Amino acid sequence: MAYGVLFDGTRCIGCRACSVACKSWNENSAKVEKKTSVEGGIQGKAVVSSDTFTFMRYREIGEGDDFKWAFAKIQCMHCLKPGCETACIVGALHRNKETGAVTYDQGKCIGCRYCMVACPFGIPTYQWEDRTPWIRKCTFCSDRLNEAENGMAPACVTACPTRALQFGERDELIEEAHKRIEESKAADPAGVGKYIDHVYGEKEVGGTAWMYISSVDMTELDLPWLSEEPVTKNARTAMSLLPYYATGMLALMVGIYFITKRRQKIAAGKHEEKKG
Amino acid sequence: MTNHWIDIRNADCVLIIGSNAAENHPICMKYVLQAQAKGAKVIHVDPRYSRTSARADMFIRIRTGTDIAFMGGMIYWILEDMRKNPGNYNLQYVQQYTNAAYIINSGIKLPGDEGQNGLFSVWDSTNSKYDTATWKYADPANATGESKLLTDNWSGWTSRAADEETAWGELNNNCVLKLLWRNYRRYDKATVSKITGIPQEKLEAVYAEYAKTGATGQAGTIMYAMGATQHTYAVQNIRAYSIVQLLLGNMGVAGGGVNALRGTSNVQGSTDQALLEHILPGYLKMTTDVDAHQTLAGYISNITPAATNPPGDLAGDNPVNWWKNTPKYVHSLLKAWWPDVALADSYNYLPKKRATGVNYTHMGLIEAIGKGGPDGVEGLWIWGQNPAAGGPTSLGARDALKKLKWMVASDIWFNETHTFWKRPDVDPSTIDTEVFLLPAAGSFEKEGSVSNSGRWVQWRYKAVEPPGEAIPDLDMMIQLFKRIRKLYDDEVKAGKTSVIPEPILNLSWDYSDEEEADVIAREMNGHALTADVPKSGAPGTFYEVGELIDWFNDLQPDGKTSSGNWLHCGQYTKASAADQQDYAELITVVNGIPSINKAKKRNVVDSSPSQVGLYPNWSWCWPRNRRIIYNRAAVDLNGNPWDAEHPVLAWNGTAWVGDVVDGGGNPINLAAAGSQNLPFIMNSEGVGKLWGYSLKDGPIPEVYEPWESPISNLMTAQQNDPAAYIGKLLVDGTDWNERGTVGDFPIIATTYRCTEHWQTGIMTRNLPWLAELMPKMYVELGADLADKLGIVSGDTVKVRSKRGEIHALAIVTKRFQAITVDGKEMHQVGIPWHWGYAGRVKGDSGNILTPSVGDANTCIPESKSFLCKVEKA
Repeated sequence: MAYGVLFDGTRCIGCRACSVACKSWNENSAKVEKKTSVEGGIQGKAVVSSDTFTFMRYREIGEGDDFKWAFAKIQCMHCLKPGCETACIVGALHRNKETGAVTYDQGKCIGCRYCMVACPFGIPTYQWEDRTPWIRKCTFCSDRLNEAENGMAPACVTACPTRALQFGERDELIEEAHKRIEESKAADPAGVGKYIDHVYGEKEVGGTAWMYISSVDMTELDLPWLSEEPVTKNARTAMSLLPYYATGMLALMVGIYFITKRRQKIAAGKHEEKKG
Repeated sequence: MTNHWIDIRNADCVLIIGSNAAENHPICMKYVLQAQAKGAKVIHVDPRYSRTSARADMFIRIRTGTDIAFMGGMIYWILEDMRKNPGNYNLQYVQQYTNAAYIINSGIKLPGDEGQNGLFSVWDSTNSKYDTATWKYADPANATGESKLLTDNWSGWTSRAADEETAWGELNNNCVLKLLWRNYRRYDKATVSKITGIPQEKLEAVYAEYAKTGATGQAGTIMYAMGATQHTYAVQNIRAYSIVQLLLGNMGVAGGGVNALRGTSNVQGSTDQALLEHILPGYLKMTTDVDAHQTLAGYISNITPAATNPPGDLAGDNPVNWWKNTPKYVHSLLKAWWPDVALADSYNYLPKKRATGVNYTHMGLIEAIGKGGPDGVEGLWIWGQNPAAGGPTSLGARDALKKLKWMVASDIWFNETHTFWKRPDVDPSTIDTEVFLLPAAGSFEKEGSVSNSGRWVQWRYKAVEPPGEAIPDLDMMIQLFKRIRKLYDDEVKAGKTSVIPEPILNLSWDYSDEEEADVIAREMNGHALTADVPKSGAPGTFYEVGELIDWFNDLQPDGKTSSGNWLHCGQYTKASAADQQDYAELITVVNGIPSINKAKKRNVVDSSPSQVGLYPNWSWCWPRNRRIIYNRAAVDLNGNPWDAEHPVLAWNGTAWVGDVVDGGGNPINLAAAGSQNLPFIMNSEGVGKLWGYSLKDGPIPEVYEPWESPISNLMTAQQNDPAAYIGKLLVDGTDWNERGTVGDFPIIATTYRCTEHWQTGIMTRNLPWLAELMPKMYVELGADLADKLGIVSGDTVKVRSKRGEIHALAIVTKRFQAITVDGKEMHQVGIPWHWGYAGRVKGDSGNILTPSVGDANTCIPESKSFLCKVEKA
């Protein structure tokens, strides 16, 4: 048992309330870029970054009467078998089996950024601009999920005005997703319905907590085509080679250790301030 | 809204026209999508494919400003289909609840009639206005034979074999239904397609789809916003929607209605409280300098309509004519303001607006500021507004502001208007205006009510203290008036006679300096001033002096009651035993009586039959907590709901159940002659007006072109709405409101808002998270046009109109596409107006481009259709 979120593209109105709710809950700052993205017929932020855990992707698909303006909310998918977790040599990234959230422990991170390479969705980002950088990504609002049984849900889900985002037990969401697809088919005299008959994330890379159904193929929204094979399998092979390099890296690691310690001290101070 | 937000979920078809609901009213899409999930079709008609279109089942690309052609075509389609397939329509509704069967004056001429050249009868070219005598009903007494109405001869309509007028059986030539048909038969699909740019097959598809809601028991809603209203014939656009809704029996029913999605929070409240120049609170007509308004009695008799009793077979029906109560409401208003002054005297305190020659609306005000000097406006107190970016022809408006001697601004941020004197390219030393800013509390930093589009008056509490010296606008207003009163008092005491002190000195203003919203809510409701005010809820009993009035029917003439706004009468009343039990925490003791401000109610139980979403104990709504107005039209003559699945109202044999019934009394068939209450109680005839007679520019909508249009009117020789307001924004001899031609400005432009920003952007461009999402002023243009102009997405482009030039980021999109109008390919571009030179992220305002011309009736500016030119910067 673990939680999931189902994104239904036929319900999304692209309002980006989720983006703002995310920044609000996570106290992430805003940065007005000199050059804004104009992809998909809209300007705005179109990448995850160390202070943007989620964004709305817009794509103009098709022509004439088949034209569609499709939306997808992009954030960490919280894989059931996370590549980042396997790639992390110090166990800083970890999937909580109760909640399904893949979270990050800055106390353990050494800043090697293997997780960034291992993620098939390109989600973890590094605080390049910070002198004491950490890896940053969507946390599944794991600090809210502790209260999930009392009705708490991730901040973005709570903010969604049209219930395009639905939070719940992952198994139940999969059932719900297929139900919506089938019902839509049944209501359509042509038997097609408004959805593509695919729950993205149900099986991709061994399954993800965040899943999508939509009227367009999610690869048209630039989500990667992925097999059912977990990333962890390949990542594990790659990681098994690591000891051979480890000796050579020892000096570097010692250096990193000191940086990490110093960074944690500064950050602890920052965090206290924030809380206050 | 005639209905309310949640009610949208009951619709069988949702027609969104002139609105981008998903981006500008995102929350309502919850209900639109709920309707869609139950099988309703969602239709979006707009120049641009937007996020609303993305969720629609049908997107119809229309040339901006051609709603009347589109809707006129629909009216014609429906009338023809009604003839061929009468079983698909609720003909009883049309016969009984609209003025379809009424006979119009025999002198009426329609715009398409010979010699009319696009004008109705009779245009007075000397005074540039209509003489509306021929728009009125034929006098039943003098129209023997004519008043024998359609009810007998409905079969003459539906069995009509051919299209010719001669095949109309016994239908009177001047009956409303036939006049409609005669006007809109010119709106065939070929003509409508040429004007609107919508292909004929799409017109057929959309007309057929929406007309399905004409069936008994089906409901269609029309949702509109500024895309419909910012035109020189805006009110006629809405009239066109109303006519369609009446023909289809969609008024008064759950999931129906003509629903204005209000453009800003509490704008419904602001019009209810008369923050407009043509009304007093509660939509009472404004006092003017006409002879009739010189006395209270004259004013009342002038503005109180007489009932129009239905002729012919419909005689015996009661039009109710609710506005007959006008005297009670006017007297109670005067008593709320000046309780200790005789009514005839306090009436004289009211300012009398000039009936002609002065435009008191936004554009007229800016023009008067531009004039400067004693004939103009010398000082401006501006509350949360931003005319330097929010109104049309911004460069002219900004230039005009320099003529002000002083400006006081109450706001939460500095905006473009407050900082006009130091705007880019202007030397502050050349501007003498003295500007003061009073920091105001934000909406969550004060208490009070907010009225939403669905007329719900919802109480809000203060969440946080305002920062620094900021205080609520209400506190500012209270303290300001106390100081003004002291000045008058001092002058009187000093023996000065040049002032008229009584209106100021006698005004009821016994407020403390802060937090008086609850007290003002009580004043709006009103109370008994004498001990002989009968209580209709408990016959034989009377209100105590000072007791809050239960509902507006108990308001009295002759100064026995007060009420600051009759529509709000019933919001704050003596608490019933049930209220005292269920809402104990909301009870306030007023004059020793436990009372309740129902706007504070937050009960999430929907107690309405079949759960149609009325939620009667969530807040309170005017009038009388009636959630769907004209709800008597939701039932047949026996009181049975047309739609048994979504009953707003039903007669259970002894009483009405469901919503608060409009007008009271028994169902028509179960009432005595003379008490057969018709549903449209606010109209003097008691029925819905397919044909009107009170607008300045025609009894029914007719196609005219926007002031700046790429084509000549294809329908008639009359290019523009004859009564439209054409502004003259003169500042030091320069008229900023110049008109461009299609030769110089070949591209059609329209303005709009996006989700991420609010109005001129002052509340959102200052919020980092929102500024980050939409940082730059942009213009959206079609990929086909961009290709021609050599523009790619991300380029900076110049957009020019005859009134100015802006720079913007180009968003090249497939969502805009060329349309074919009258055989010619035309392009439309979209321009938001959220930016300016104040705030965290800056940019040019789209309103630099818009013209100062306005609707014939309301004077709302025509921001939605004008001409421009786009170039790579």
